[in-house]
Amino acid sequence: MTSSSAPSRKALSKIACNRLQKELVEWQVNPPAGFKHKVSDNLQRWVIEVNGAQGTLYANETYQLQVDFPEHYPMEAPQVIFLNPAPLHPHIYSNGHICLDILYDSWSPAMTVSSVCISILSMLSSSTAKQRPADNDRYVKNCRNGRSPKETRWWFHDDKV
Amino acid sequence: MAASVAKQAELLKADGNTYFKKERLGAAIDAYTEAIALVPNVPVYWTNRALCFRRRKEWTRVEEDCRKALELDSSSVKAHYMLGIALLEREEHAEGIKELEKAFDLERSAKRPGHLVEEVWSILAKAKYEEWERESSERSWTLQKLKDDCEKALLEHRFLDVSEDKDEVKDAVNDHSKQLELLKDVFSKAADNDTPKEVPDYLCCKITLDIFRDPVITPSGVTYERAVLLEHLQKVGNFDPITRETLEVSQLVPNLAIKEAVRSFLNDHAWAYKMN
Repeated sequence: MTSSSAPSRKALSKIACNRLQKELVEWQVNPPAGFKHKVSDNLQRWVIEVNGAQGTLYANETYQLQVDFPEHYPMEAPQVIFLNPAPLHPHIYSNGHICLDILYDSWSPAMTVSSVCISILSMLSSSTAKQRPADNDRYVKNCRNGRSPKETRWWFHDDKV
Repeated sequence: MAASVAKQAELLKADGNTYFKKERLGAAIDAYTEAIALVPNVPVYWTNRALCFRRRKEWTRVEEDCRKALELDSSSVKAHYMLGIALLEREEHAEGIKELEKAFDLERSAKRPGHLVEEVWSILAKAKYEEWERESSERSWTLQKLKDDCEKALLEHRFLDVSEDKDEVKDAVNDHSKQLELLKDVFSKAADNDTPKEVPDYLCCKITLDIFRDPVITPSGVTYERAVLLEHLQKVGNFDPITRETLEVSQLVPNLAIKEAVRSFLNDHAWAYKMN
Protein backbone atom coordinates (compact mmCIF):
# COMPACT_ATOMS: atom_id res chain seq x y z
CA MET A 1 0.00 0.00 0.00
CA THR A 2 1.52 3.29 -1.04
CA SER A 3 0.11 5.37 1.75
CA SER A 4 2.15 3.73 4.49
CA SER A 5 5.43 3.17 2.66
CA ALA A 6 8.18 5.26 4.19
CA PRO A 7 10.10 7.50 1.84
CA SER A 8 13.80 6.73 2.00
CA ARG A 9 15.07 9.40 4.33
CA LYS A 10 17.94 10.52 6.46
CA ALA A 11 17.89 11.09 10.17
CA LEU A 12 16.76 14.51 11.37
CA SER A 13 19.36 17.27 11.52
CA LYS A 14 20.07 18.85 14.88
CA ILE A 15 18.04 21.93 13.99
CA ALA A 16 15.11 19.75 12.90
CA CYS A 17 15.32 17.69 16.07
CA ASN A 18 15.33 20.75 18.34
CA ARG A 19 12.48 22.33 16.52
CA LEU A 20 10.32 19.16 16.57
CA GLN A 21 10.90 18.68 20.27
CA LYS A 22 9.69 22.23 20.85
CA GLU A 23 6.67 21.66 18.60
CA LEU A 24 5.82 18.48 20.47
CA VAL A 25 5.97 20.21 23.85
CA GLU A 26 3.80 23.05 22.53
CA TRP A 27 1.35 20.53 21.06
CA GLN A 28 1.07 18.72 24.39
CA VAL A 29 0.31 21.97 26.20
CA ASN A 30 -1.91 23.44 23.52
CA PRO A 31 -3.08 20.96 20.84
CA PRO A 32 -5.11 22.29 17.89
CA ALA A 33 -8.85 21.62 18.42
CA GLY A 34 -10.02 18.40 16.79
CA PHE A 35 -6.59 16.73 16.65
CA LYS A 36 -4.88 14.08 18.71
CA HIS A 37 -1.23 13.13 18.41
CA LYS A 38 -0.80 9.39 18.83
CA VAL A 39 1.99 9.01 21.32
CA SER A 40 5.11 7.30 20.03
CA ASP A 41 8.81 7.73 20.52
CA ASN A 42 9.33 8.38 16.82
CA LEU A 43 9.98 12.10 16.48
CA GLN A 44 10.36 11.82 12.71
CA ARG A 45 6.90 10.36 12.02
CA TRP A 46 3.81 11.65 13.74
CA VAL A 47 0.45 9.95 13.39
CA ILE A 48 -2.37 12.35 14.16
CA GLU A 49 -6.06 11.66 14.60
CA VAL A 50 -8.42 14.18 12.95
CA ASN A 51 -12.04 14.61 13.94
CA GLY A 52 -14.32 16.15 11.34
CA ALA A 53 -15.78 19.42 12.60
CA GLN A 54 -19.42 19.54 13.71
CA GLY A 55 -21.79 20.97 11.15
CA THR A 56 -19.63 19.86 8.21
CA LEU A 57 -19.83 16.86 5.88
CA TYR A 58 -17.21 15.08 8.00
CA ALA A 59 -18.85 15.52 11.41
CA ASN A 60 -18.40 12.48 13.69
CA GLU A 61 -15.85 10.95 11.32
CA THR A 62 -12.27 10.23 12.34
CA TYR A 63 -9.27 10.01 10.04
CA GLN A 64 -5.56 9.59 10.51
CA LEU A 65 -2.83 11.84 9.18
CA GLN A 66 0.73 10.62 8.83
CA VAL A 67 3.36 13.34 8.99
CA ASP A 68 6.94 12.49 7.98
CA PHE A 69 9.70 15.02 8.56
CA PRO A 70 12.66 15.41 6.21
CA GLU A 71 16.25 15.81 7.42
CA HIS A 72 16.18 19.57 6.90
CA TYR A 73 12.79 20.35 8.38
CA PRO A 74 11.57 23.13 8.63
CA MET A 75 13.54 24.31 5.60
CA GLU A 76 11.65 21.59 3.73
CA ALA A 77 7.96 20.81 4.12
CA PRO A 78 6.92 17.66 5.96
CA GLN A 79 5.21 14.95 3.91
CA VAL A 80 1.59 14.81 5.02
CA ILE A 81 -0.83 12.12 3.86
CA PHE A 82 -4.04 10.51 5.08
CA LEU A 83 -3.76 6.88 6.11
CA ASN A 84 -6.25 4.48 4.57
CA PRO A 85 -9.18 5.16 4.43
CA ALA A 86 -8.73 8.77 3.33
CA PRO A 87 -11.74 11.11 3.54
CA LEU A 88 -13.79 11.55 0.39
CA HIS A 89 -12.89 15.06 -0.73
CA PRO A 90 -12.30 16.81 -4.08
CA HIS A 91 -8.66 17.48 -3.11
CA ILE A 92 -7.81 14.21 -1.42
CA TYR A 93 -6.84 11.20 -3.52
CA SER A 94 -7.82 7.69 -2.55
CA ASN A 95 -4.16 6.87 -1.77
CA GLY A 96 -4.19 9.58 0.91
CA HIS A 97 -2.29 12.26 -1.01
CA ILE A 98 -3.53 15.79 -0.36
CA CYS A 99 -3.57 18.57 -2.95
CA LEU A 100 -2.81 21.58 -0.74
CA ASP A 101 -0.33 24.24 -1.80
CA ILE A 102 1.24 24.89 1.63
CA LEU A 103 2.48 21.29 1.71
CA TYR A 104 4.49 21.84 -1.45
CA ASP A 105 5.31 25.08 -3.33
CA SER A 106 3.89 27.42 -0.70
CA TRP A 107 5.58 25.91 2.33
CA SER A 108 7.22 28.34 4.73
CA PRO A 109 9.48 27.39 7.65
CA ALA A 110 7.37 29.56 9.93
CA MET A 111 4.54 27.00 9.58
CA THR A 112 4.21 24.21 12.12
CA VAL A 113 2.52 20.81 12.31
CA SER A 114 -0.21 22.54 14.23
CA SER A 115 -0.80 25.22 11.58
CA VAL A 116 -0.72 22.58 8.82
CA CYS A 117 -3.35 20.53 10.69
CA ILE A 118 -5.59 23.57 11.00
CA SER A 119 -5.30 24.21 7.24
CA ILE A 120 -6.23 20.61 6.48
CA LEU A 121 -9.24 20.72 8.78
CA SER A 122 -10.38 23.97 7.20
CA MET A 123 -10.02 22.36 3.77
CA LEU A 124 -12.24 19.48 4.93
CA SER A 125 -14.75 21.79 6.57
CA SER A 126 -15.30 23.92 3.49
CA SER A 127 -16.03 20.94 1.24
CA THR A 128 -19.52 20.86 -0.29
CA ALA A 129 -19.36 17.40 -1.88
CA LYS A 130 -17.95 14.09 -0.75
CA GLN A 131 -16.18 13.04 -3.90
CA ARG A 132 -12.72 12.16 -5.20
CA PRO A 133 -10.71 14.49 -7.46
CA ALA A 134 -11.64 14.11 -11.13
CA ASP A 135 -8.24 12.62 -12.02
CA ASN A 136 -8.14 10.27 -9.02
CA ASP A 137 -7.69 6.94 -10.85
CA ARG A 138 -5.01 8.25 -13.20
CA TYR A 139 -3.11 9.92 -10.36
CA VAL A 140 -3.26 6.95 -7.99
CA LYS A 141 -2.10 4.62 -10.78
CA ASN A 142 0.89 6.89 -11.37
CA CYS A 143 1.81 6.69 -7.70
CA ARG A 144 1.75 2.91 -7.49
CA ASN A 145 5.52 2.60 -7.17
CA GLY A 146 5.31 4.33 -3.80
CA ARG A 147 5.97 7.84 -5.04
CA SER A 148 5.81 10.59 -2.42
CA PRO A 149 3.25 13.37 -3.00
CA LYS A 150 6.18 15.78 -2.66
CA GLU A 151 7.46 14.49 -6.01
CA THR A 152 4.18 15.31 -7.75
CA ARG A 153 3.98 18.44 -9.86
CA TRP A 154 0.79 19.80 -8.42
CA TRP A 155 -1.61 22.14 -10.14
CA PHE A 156 -3.45 24.14 -7.55
CA HIS A 157 -6.17 25.20 -9.98
CA ASP A 158 -8.97 25.35 -7.50
CA ASP A 159 -8.62 27.24 -4.26
CA LYS A 160 -12.31 27.43 -3.50
CA VAL A 161 -12.70 24.11 -1.74
CA MET B 1 64.87 37.10 2.86
CA ALA B 2 61.99 37.96 5.18
CA ALA B 3 59.50 37.26 2.43
CA SER B 4 60.86 33.80 1.84
CA VAL B 5 60.74 32.99 5.56
CA ALA B 6 57.10 34.04 5.68
CA LYS B 7 56.42 31.91 2.62
CA GLN B 8 58.11 28.91 4.19
CA ALA B 9 56.03 29.34 7.34
CA GLU B 10 52.86 29.46 5.25
CA LEU B 11 53.89 26.22 3.55
CA LEU B 12 54.44 24.62 6.95
CA LYS B 13 51.00 25.77 8.03
CA ALA B 14 49.50 24.20 4.91
CA ASP B 15 51.32 20.96 5.74
CA GLY B 16 49.96 21.17 9.28
CA ASN B 17 46.42 21.60 7.97
CA THR B 18 46.81 18.55 5.72
CA TYR B 19 48.12 16.42 8.59
CA PHE B 20 45.31 17.67 10.82
CA LYS B 21 42.68 16.63 8.29
CA LYS B 22 44.23 13.15 8.22
CA GLU B 23 44.08 13.08 12.03
CA ARG B 24 47.90 12.95 12.20
CA LEU B 25 48.00 15.30 15.16
CA GLY B 26 51.68 14.79 16.10
CA ALA B 27 52.84 15.66 12.59
CA ALA B 28 50.48 18.64 12.47
CA ILE B 29 51.78 19.97 15.80
CA ASP B 30 55.38 19.64 14.55
CA ALA B 31 54.56 21.56 11.37
CA TYR B 32 52.82 24.40 13.23
CA THR B 33 55.67 24.51 15.78
CA GLU B 34 58.16 25.00 12.96
CA ALA B 35 56.00 27.70 11.41
CA ILE B 36 55.87 29.48 14.78
CA ALA B 37 59.66 29.21 15.15
CA LEU B 38 60.05 30.94 11.79
CA VAL B 39 57.35 33.61 12.19
CA PRO B 40 56.04 33.81 15.76
CA ASN B 41 53.62 36.70 15.25
CA VAL B 42 50.93 35.02 13.15
CA PRO B 43 47.97 34.22 15.46
CA VAL B 44 46.57 31.48 13.19
CA TYR B 45 49.67 29.32 13.68
CA TRP B 46 48.98 29.39 17.42
CA THR B 47 45.25 28.76 17.17
CA ASN B 48 45.77 25.91 14.70
CA ARG B 49 48.22 24.28 17.07
CA ALA B 50 45.78 24.88 19.92
CA LEU B 51 43.15 23.01 17.92
CA CYS B 52 45.49 19.97 17.77
CA PHE B 53 46.06 20.14 21.51
CA ARG B 54 42.31 20.42 22.01
CA ARG B 55 41.84 17.14 20.16
CA ARG B 56 44.41 15.58 22.45
CA LYS B 57 42.74 17.13 25.50
CA GLU B 58 46.00 18.80 26.54
CA TRP B 59 44.24 21.75 28.10
CA THR B 60 47.24 23.58 29.56
CA ARG B 61 48.81 23.63 26.11
CA VAL B 62 45.54 24.84 24.57
CA GLU B 63 45.47 27.65 27.09
CA GLU B 64 49.10 28.67 26.43
CA ASP B 65 48.67 28.80 22.67
CA CYS B 66 45.36 30.66 22.85
CA ARG B 67 46.77 33.26 25.23
CA LYS B 68 49.69 33.77 22.88
CA ALA B 69 47.30 34.17 19.92
CA LEU B 70 45.25 36.70 21.91
CA GLU B 71 48.36 38.76 22.66
CA LEU B 72 48.78 39.05 18.90
CA ASP B 73 45.10 39.52 18.08
CA SER B 74 42.70 40.18 20.92
CA SER B 75 39.70 39.73 18.61
CA SER B 76 40.44 36.16 17.57
CA VAL B 77 37.15 34.30 17.97
CA LYS B 78 38.84 30.90 17.81
CA ALA B 79 41.36 31.82 20.50
CA HIS B 80 38.69 33.08 22.91
CA TYR B 81 36.53 30.05 22.11
CA MET B 82 39.19 27.38 22.68
CA LEU B 83 40.57 29.20 25.72
CA GLY B 84 37.06 29.17 27.15
CA ILE B 85 36.74 25.44 26.56
CA ALA B 86 40.17 24.76 28.11
CA LEU B 87 39.27 26.78 31.21
CA LEU B 88 35.94 24.99 31.59
CA GLU B 89 37.72 21.65 31.32
CA ARG B 90 39.94 22.76 34.17
CA GLU B 91 36.82 23.75 36.12
CA GLU B 92 37.63 27.45 36.03
CA HIS B 93 33.98 28.09 35.23
CA ALA B 94 33.70 31.85 35.63
CA GLU B 95 36.80 32.60 33.56
CA GLY B 96 35.81 30.05 30.93
CA ILE B 97 32.34 31.53 30.57
CA LYS B 98 33.85 35.01 30.21
CA GLU B 99 36.02 33.86 27.30
CA LEU B 100 33.11 32.08 25.61
CA GLU B 101 30.96 35.19 25.95
CA LYS B 102 33.69 37.24 24.27
CA ALA B 103 33.92 34.71 21.45
CA PHE B 104 30.13 34.72 21.09
CA ASP B 105 29.86 38.52 20.94
CA LEU B 106 32.76 38.85 18.52
CA GLU B 107 31.34 36.22 16.20
CA ARG B 108 27.87 37.72 16.35
CA SER B 109 29.05 41.19 15.43
CA ALA B 110 31.35 39.96 12.67
CA LYS B 111 30.59 41.39 9.22
CA ARG B 112 29.78 37.90 7.99
CA PRO B 113 28.83 35.83 11.02
CA GLY B 114 29.97 32.30 10.53
CA HIS B 115 28.97 28.84 11.59
CA LEU B 116 30.72 29.36 14.91
CA VAL B 117 27.78 31.31 16.37
CA GLU B 118 25.79 28.15 16.98
CA GLU B 119 28.82 26.11 18.07
CA VAL B 120 30.01 28.73 20.58
CA TRP B 121 26.46 29.22 21.80
CA SER B 122 25.91 25.52 22.50
CA ILE B 123 29.02 25.30 24.68
CA LEU B 124 28.37 28.64 26.37
CA ALA B 125 24.73 27.72 27.03
CA LYS B 126 25.72 24.41 28.60
CA ALA B 127 28.28 26.10 30.87
CA LYS B 128 25.80 28.81 31.86
CA TYR B 129 23.09 26.26 32.59
CA GLU B 130 25.41 24.21 34.78
CA GLU B 131 26.47 27.37 36.58
CA TRP B 132 22.80 28.16 37.17
CA GLU B 133 22.17 24.65 38.52
CA ARG B 134 24.97 25.07 41.07
CA GLU B 135 24.07 28.62 42.07
CA SER B 136 20.30 28.21 42.13
CA SER B 137 20.40 25.15 44.34
CA GLU B 138 22.55 27.11 46.76
CA ARG B 139 20.16 30.06 46.57
CA SER B 140 17.15 27.84 47.17
CA TRP B 141 18.84 26.16 50.11
CA THR B 142 19.65 29.54 51.69
CA LEU B 143 16.09 30.76 51.15
CA GLN B 144 14.61 27.60 52.62
CA LYS B 145 16.74 27.98 55.72
CA LEU B 146 15.82 31.63 56.09
CA LYS B 147 12.14 30.73 55.72
CA ASP B 148 12.38 28.04 58.40
CA ASP B 149 14.11 30.49 60.74
CA CYS B 150 11.49 33.15 60.11
CA GLU B 151 8.68 30.71 60.83
CA LYS B 152 10.35 29.65 64.04
CA ALA B 153 10.86 33.26 65.09
CA LEU B 154 7.20 34.07 64.47
CA LEU B 155 6.14 31.10 66.53
CA GLU B 156 8.38 32.10 69.44
CA HIS B 157 7.14 35.63 69.20
CA ARG B 158 3.58 34.36 69.51
CA PHE B 159 4.38 32.38 72.66
CA LEU B 160 5.96 35.42 74.27
CA ASP B 161 2.72 37.31 73.73
CA VAL B 162 0.48 34.88 75.59
CA SER B 163 -2.37 36.68 77.13
CA GLU B 164 -5.11 35.64 79.55
CA ASP B 165 -7.81 37.29 77.51
CA LYS B 166 -9.58 34.75 75.28
CA ASP B 167 -10.36 37.25 72.53
CA GLU B 168 -6.80 38.44 72.42
CA VAL B 169 -5.57 34.85 72.08
CA LYS B 170 -7.93 34.33 69.17
CA ASP B 171 -6.67 37.47 67.44
CA ALA B 172 -3.08 36.44 67.97
CA VAL B 173 -3.69 33.03 66.39
CA ASN B 174 -5.35 34.76 63.46
CA ASP B 175 -2.48 37.21 63.01
CA HIS B 176 -0.01 34.43 63.24
CA SER B 177 -1.57 32.37 60.46
CA LYS B 178 -1.87 35.48 58.28
CA GLN B 179 1.79 36.25 58.79
CA LEU B 180 2.74 32.69 57.89
CA GLU B 181 0.68 32.98 54.69
CA LEU B 182 2.40 36.26 53.81
CA LEU B 183 5.80 34.80 54.54
CA LYS B 184 5.07 31.92 52.19
CA ASP B 185 4.11 34.41 49.46
CA VAL B 186 7.22 36.50 49.92
CA PHE B 187 9.48 33.48 49.71
CA SER B 188 7.75 32.00 46.71
CA LYS B 189 8.18 35.35 44.91
CA ALA B 190 11.84 35.38 45.82
CA ALA B 191 12.25 31.98 44.17
CA ASP B 192 10.33 33.00 41.06
CA ASN B 193 13.31 33.85 38.85
CA ASP B 194 14.87 30.49 39.56
CA THR B 195 11.74 28.56 38.61
CA PRO B 196 11.97 27.34 35.00
CA LYS B 197 8.93 28.13 32.87
CA GLU B 198 8.34 29.02 29.25
CA VAL B 199 10.51 31.62 27.57
CA PRO B 200 8.21 34.44 26.36
CA ASP B 201 7.27 34.08 22.67
CA TYR B 202 8.64 37.52 21.78
CA LEU B 203 12.14 36.33 22.70
CA CYS B 204 11.86 33.24 20.47
CA CYS B 205 12.35 32.84 16.74
CA LYS B 206 9.24 31.73 14.81
CA ILE B 207 11.37 29.25 12.87
CA THR B 208 13.61 27.69 15.52
CA LEU B 209 11.01 28.24 18.29
CA ASP B 210 14.04 28.77 20.49
CA ILE B 211 15.39 31.82 22.34
CA PHE B 212 17.28 34.24 20.03
CA ARG B 213 21.06 34.14 19.72
CA ASP B 214 21.53 36.59 16.88
CA PRO B 215 18.19 38.26 16.07
CA VAL B 216 17.70 40.12 12.78
CA ILE B 217 14.63 42.11 11.78
CA THR B 218 13.07 42.19 8.29
CA PRO B 219 11.36 45.18 6.61
CA SER B 220 8.03 43.56 7.57
CA GLY B 221 8.99 44.06 11.19
CA VAL B 222 9.35 40.37 12.03
CA THR B 223 12.45 39.19 13.90
CA TYR B 224 14.17 35.88 13.12
CA GLU B 225 17.30 34.00 14.10
CA ARG B 226 19.91 35.14 11.59
CA ALA B 227 21.38 31.73 10.70
CA VAL B 228 18.06 30.01 9.93
CA LEU B 229 16.66 33.00 8.08
CA LEU B 230 19.76 33.04 5.84
CA GLU B 231 19.26 29.33 5.23
CA HIS B 232 15.61 29.96 4.37
CA LEU B 233 16.51 32.72 1.88
CA GLN B 234 19.04 30.44 0.28
CA LYS B 235 17.03 27.20 0.18
CA VAL B 236 13.34 28.08 0.25
CA GLY B 237 13.01 31.45 -1.41
CA ASN B 238 13.38 35.22 -1.23
CA PHE B 239 10.41 35.95 0.98
CA ASP B 240 9.66 36.74 4.60
CA PRO B 241 8.57 33.38 6.09
CA ILE B 242 5.60 34.90 7.91
CA THR B 243 4.38 37.81 5.78
CA ARG B 244 5.61 36.31 2.46
CA GLU B 245 6.78 39.72 1.33
CA THR B 246 9.84 39.79 -0.92
CA LEU B 247 13.03 39.75 1.12
CA GLU B 248 16.73 40.06 0.28
CA VAL B 249 19.70 39.36 2.54
CA SER B 250 20.79 42.99 2.23
CA GLN B 251 17.55 44.13 3.92
CA LEU B 252 18.26 42.33 7.19
CA VAL B 253 19.21 44.45 10.17
CA PRO B 254 20.35 43.23 13.61
CA ASN B 255 17.58 43.71 16.17
CA LEU B 256 19.57 45.29 18.97
CA ALA B 257 16.60 45.84 21.26
CA ILE B 258 15.67 42.14 21.22
CA LYS B 259 19.32 41.22 21.65
CA GLU B 260 19.40 43.33 24.83
CA ALA B 261 16.07 41.92 26.01
CA VAL B 262 17.41 38.37 25.59
CA ARG B 263 20.59 39.27 27.43
CA SER B 264 18.64 40.72 30.32
CA PHE B 265 16.20 37.80 30.44
CA LEU B 266 19.02 35.26 30.47
CA ASN B 267 20.76 37.22 33.19
CA ASP B 268 17.80 36.78 35.53
CA HIS B 269 16.63 33.40 34.25
CA ALA B 270 19.72 31.40 33.41
CA TRP B 271 17.66 28.18 33.31
CA ALA B 272 16.56 29.37 29.85
CA TYR B 273 20.03 28.43 28.60
CA LYS B 274 18.90 24.82 28.71
CA MET B 275 19.05 23.23 25.28
CA ASN B 276 17.07 20.12 24.35
